[in-house]
Amino acid sequence: MSDAHDHGLPPKSSVSRWFLTTNHKDIGVLYLITALFFLVFGGLLALLFRLELITPGADLLGSLGYNQAVSTHGLLMVFWFISPFAFGFANYVVPLQIGADDLAFPRLNALSYWLYLFSGVLMGVSFFQGTTFAGGWTMYAPLNTPAYIPGEGLGATSVVLALIMFTAAVTLGSVNFLTTMYRMRAEGLRMRDIPIFSLSINLTVWMMLFAFAALLAALMILASDHILGTTYFQFANDGSTLATDADNPGASLLWAHLFWFFGHPEVYIVFFPALGVMAECFQTFTGRRLVGRKWFIISMVLVAIQSFVVWMHHMFLTGINLPIKTIFMATTIGISLPFDLMVFSLIYTMAKGRVRFTTPFLFSLGALILFIVGGITGVFLGAIVLDYQFRGTYWVVAHFHYVMVSGATALFGGLYYWYPKITGKMYDETLGKIHFAVYFVGFNLLYFPMFVAWETPRRVFEYSRDLQIWHSMATVGGFILGASMLIMFYNLFVSLWRGEDAGDNPWDYATTAEWAVSSPPPLENFPGVPTYADGSLSFMDDAEVARRTSGSGGSGVAADGGTAADGGTASVTTAATATPASPAHETAGEEHASHASFWPFLVSLGGFVAFLGLSGVRTGSVVYVSMAAVGGLATFGALFGMTREPFHAPEMPIAERWPFDSVEKMKLGMWTFLASDIVLFGAFIGSYAFVRVAYGWSEWHHDLIPAEHVTMPGLINTYLLLTSSFLVVLAMVAAERESKKGTTAALAGTFALGVGFLVNKGLEWQHLFHIHTEMFPNGWNLSTNIASSTFYLTTGLHGAHVTIGLVICAYMTYRAWNGAYQGDDRAIEYFGLYWHFVDIVWLFLFPLFYIL
Amino acid sequence: MGHLVPHAVVGVPLHGGDVRAPADVFNSIFEVFLVLGTAVGVLVVTYTLYHAIKYRETAGEDPYADKVERPSMGEMPTGGSGGRKVFYSFGISAIIVVSLIAWTYSSLAYVEDGPTIEGEEDITVQVEGFRFGWAFIYPNGHETSTLKVPRNRVVRLEVTSRDVFHNFGIPELRVKTDAIPGQTTDAWFTTSETGTYQAKCYELCGSGHSVMVSPVEVLPQDEYQSWYAGTNGTENGSSNQTAASVGGAPA
Repeated sequence: MSDAHDHGLPPKSSVSRWFLTTNHKDIGVLYLITALFFLVFGGLLALLFRLELITPGADLLGSLGYNQAVSTHGLLMVFWFISPFAFGFANYVVPLQIGADDLAFPRLNALSYWLYLFSGVLMGVSFFQGTTFAGGWTMYAPLNTPAYIPGEGLGATSVVLALIMFTAAVTLGSVNFLTTMYRMRAEGLRMRDIPIFSLSINLTVWMMLFAFAALLAALMILASDHILGTTYFQFANDGSTLATDADNPGASLLWAHLFWFFGHPEVYIVFFPALGVMAECFQTFTGRRLVGRKWFIISMVLVAIQSFVVWMHHMFLTGINLPIKTIFMATTIGISLPFDLMVFSLIYTMAKGRVRFTTPFLFSLGALILFIVGGITGVFLGAIVLDYQFRGTYWVVAHFHYVMVSGATALFGGLYYWYPKITGKMYDETLGKIHFAVYFVGFNLLYFPMFVAWETPRRVFEYSRDLQIWHSMATVGGFILGASMLIMFYNLFVSLWRGEDAGDNPWDYATTAEWAVSSPPPLENFPGVPTYADGSLSFMDDAEVARRTSGSGGSGVAADGGTAADGGTASVTTAATATPASPAHETAGEEHASHASFWPFLVSLGGFVAFLGLSGVRTGSVVYVSMAAVGGLATFGALFGMTREPFHAPEMPIAERWPFDSVEKMKLGMWTFLASDIVLFGAFIGSYAFVRVAYGWSEWHHDLIPAEHVTMPGLINTYLLLTSSFLVVLAMVAAERESKKGTTAALAGTFALGVGFLVNKGLEWQHLFHIHTEMFPNGWNLSTNIASSTFYLTTGLHGAHVTIGLVICAYMTYRAWNGAYQGDDRAIEYFGLYWHFVDIVWLFLFPLFYIL
Repeated sequence: MGHLVPHAVVGVPLHGGDVRAPADVFNSIFEVFLVLGTAVGVLVVTYTLYHAIKYRETAGEDPYADKVERPSMGEMPTGGSGGRKVFYSFGISAIIVVSLIAWTYSSLAYVEDGPTIEGEEDITVQVEGFRFGWAFIYPNGHETSTLKVPRNRVVRLEVTSRDVFHNFGIPELRVKTDAIPGQTTDAWFTTSETGTYQAKCYELCGSGHSVMVSPVEVLPQDEYQSWYAGTNGTENGSSNQTAASVGGAPA
């Protein structure tokens, strides 16, 4: 794999490079192209139903076809286009802006991309499984459960699974970006000093880490309702969908809460990168530094935090009481105010500037104007009395398109802005300006009439005749908007050959580091180690770096923010690798960084096959079942291959790492991942509490749970897990003392106790599945009632965590037997973090599901 | 409400049409928001464009060279001067937004609970959504697919769903609430205009969502009373038939 010069990476002209690459710039390009493909996909669907809406009635697509087009358009644009498009830039630009040579975990980054691509492919395949998802992008329950999905509903299941795959990609990406930004900044760059686009990405990934964990919980539960037959989101008081006649009155609202807890932060997740691009373009093309930059940043931080406490404003009509409505009205207004400040900050940045109306600036300015309209119409929705009547109408549709598509507008600006950097060629400025003009007219012709025709209910094809003129206008606008994108595609494609050479920096007053290197930048980005120690960007050569890091010269690494870098900082940098499961491959000194791995592609391909198989296992079809099995095995095998592959991602010898100077890369990654896992379990536990309260906390136990569900198996398992956690600590101690036998024995003990936990659980479940009592003549299984669903799924998720832990533990026991970890217990520590976490989760689940 | 039914048959106290209907509340607030929103929008967009055009790059020397420092390549990102104006503008916009919302909040309590009118008796109707239609159940047990109500009375709705998440709304009368299986939500309206209106579904509920529409008839008091007197609580087969035909119509 390792070629001395190209580090195993074929040239860009070779197709195989694009399957192998782990370099952030290549992956950024892949993200951009893939996202644009999904823009076209989602856009064509939109044009289809805009055609349908020229006149009232479903004469083109049919009623179900219309619902499918509307639903998948929303899902594709929100998930598969806009965020990944922004993350194309994030991948390409953030490492350059902060002075890193790549992301912290390059293979994980490639894995994120391939999971994203294959999740989109799975979404596409769903169109060929009868019908695809038709329940709206908000996927409200119980419409999203098989009972209400026409036909076999396999396409809908595929979409849910595709979203799970997408969420996995997002979570890996979030962990990767956070670790990168906290561990790999150029010397002298405090967090507040990093360029505004990178800062917007930082806050975006923080929101992603938690919001997508909640979405993951919602989707896992929904997938389980589809595939395993649990009944979280099913409500039936006639016994037609539930196996017993007990109903589940919390079903609908549970989905709404889980979805919107994700859904509102998602608005900012989508918009923040666009805001970052706008700020970046405003600075460059006005020749002014961002006015009120500090307050701009504080505003973004406030919004990021507050985004998690506004979700119920999507649910004002669900019967929540007045005090809660009032609180959510206040938080909603509160979150709109920082945006006022950001808008004015951008406006005043133009003052005394040298404004140049280049294509990127036109798109940024256009985005600002559209966002102002979107913001003002959003204030209408903040007034609850008005919100009640806007609920479910085109006012909402028009408002969020003005916000979200204004974000997309800014991102198109970003594409023009960074195109010369990415390709080394200049696009055609005239065509760019024409694109903007057509785009802006099309946009407003498409979305503004929707405000006028706001009385139209959302997602209908029947509307009142006197609104027809507005809907016809919108349709024309939609086609103009779509056509304008063709101009862009043509321009950017042709400019790859005909464009003038862009040079390092085609823009006057650009300041950020990506413009200080060649276009496109070399594989490892910088001519030396970047530093801002003396107030502006410079590069340290090898000699300088060697002088600074050798001997006991740790003081030279001292952080600008006053944090003392202890001697440990330098020593940490030698041995870290990007392998999640076995982090401590020993690497020999100054080895070149690796840039190629085929495993991320294979893992994702395996995952795709497995998920496609899973979508149809409930039919019992041999094809689907075998795809699930083969795909699952392939995924597992590829993950194992990835673990065994030597891959070197050296840490920067000198970097700004506040506030994580003393937390190594792997450990920080693990902690970040666990943070999102906490939200995942939190959402599961919250769901349990929610449906139980909706049913009646104490009736629950009496009505729904058999007497055979006793405490003892849970209690035994609590002791087993606690003891196993203790053994992991012993393994660390033994490794530190370099006792091979001790390490192996302790790890083997951990493994044995974990297996005991699973066996005990298996016996307990078998017993409950097959009880025959008066209340539960057919056993107490996953689909018996809502209590059994919550019990099996929540403890099952925990069991899956235990199983994954055991696989890692078995692998580590084997390696310990062969002499690994002696004198370096870090790998065991990382595993221990995970294992203790799983243990602690059980300490919550045990009382909740066995005692209360 | 059952015990009120006999009352309703013999001359019912009305509110005389001077009660503030939800539609009045909405329309007056919406109007203010539209006017102010348009004004603020035009102002801010104009202000934005003014800045963009006024400070466009011109040939020759930088006219503000002595007033502002231009950024240079590789500099540590910092903010530009002029932050005070940002705060003034932000302050003004914050005052507008907060005062507007605070002003509407005073109407919220009214829209939530509805009026309590001395001597007037509200009518309570249960609304049940199903794929794809609405059933209206009166205090005497009568079930129908057309909502008939008298003018100048406060009509209270208790809304739920038999299957999936719906949303019940009568746009002209500005009443709307979610219809959620397993939950009941409340809404109310009143109007002094007789006529036929439409109740629609505002939450995607399947292939028939677009045609999930029921007529709403606001009748003169006497007409309503004679209709209601003729209804029989125990016999509701006809409405079920209607419901089935509505449900079967789309697909």
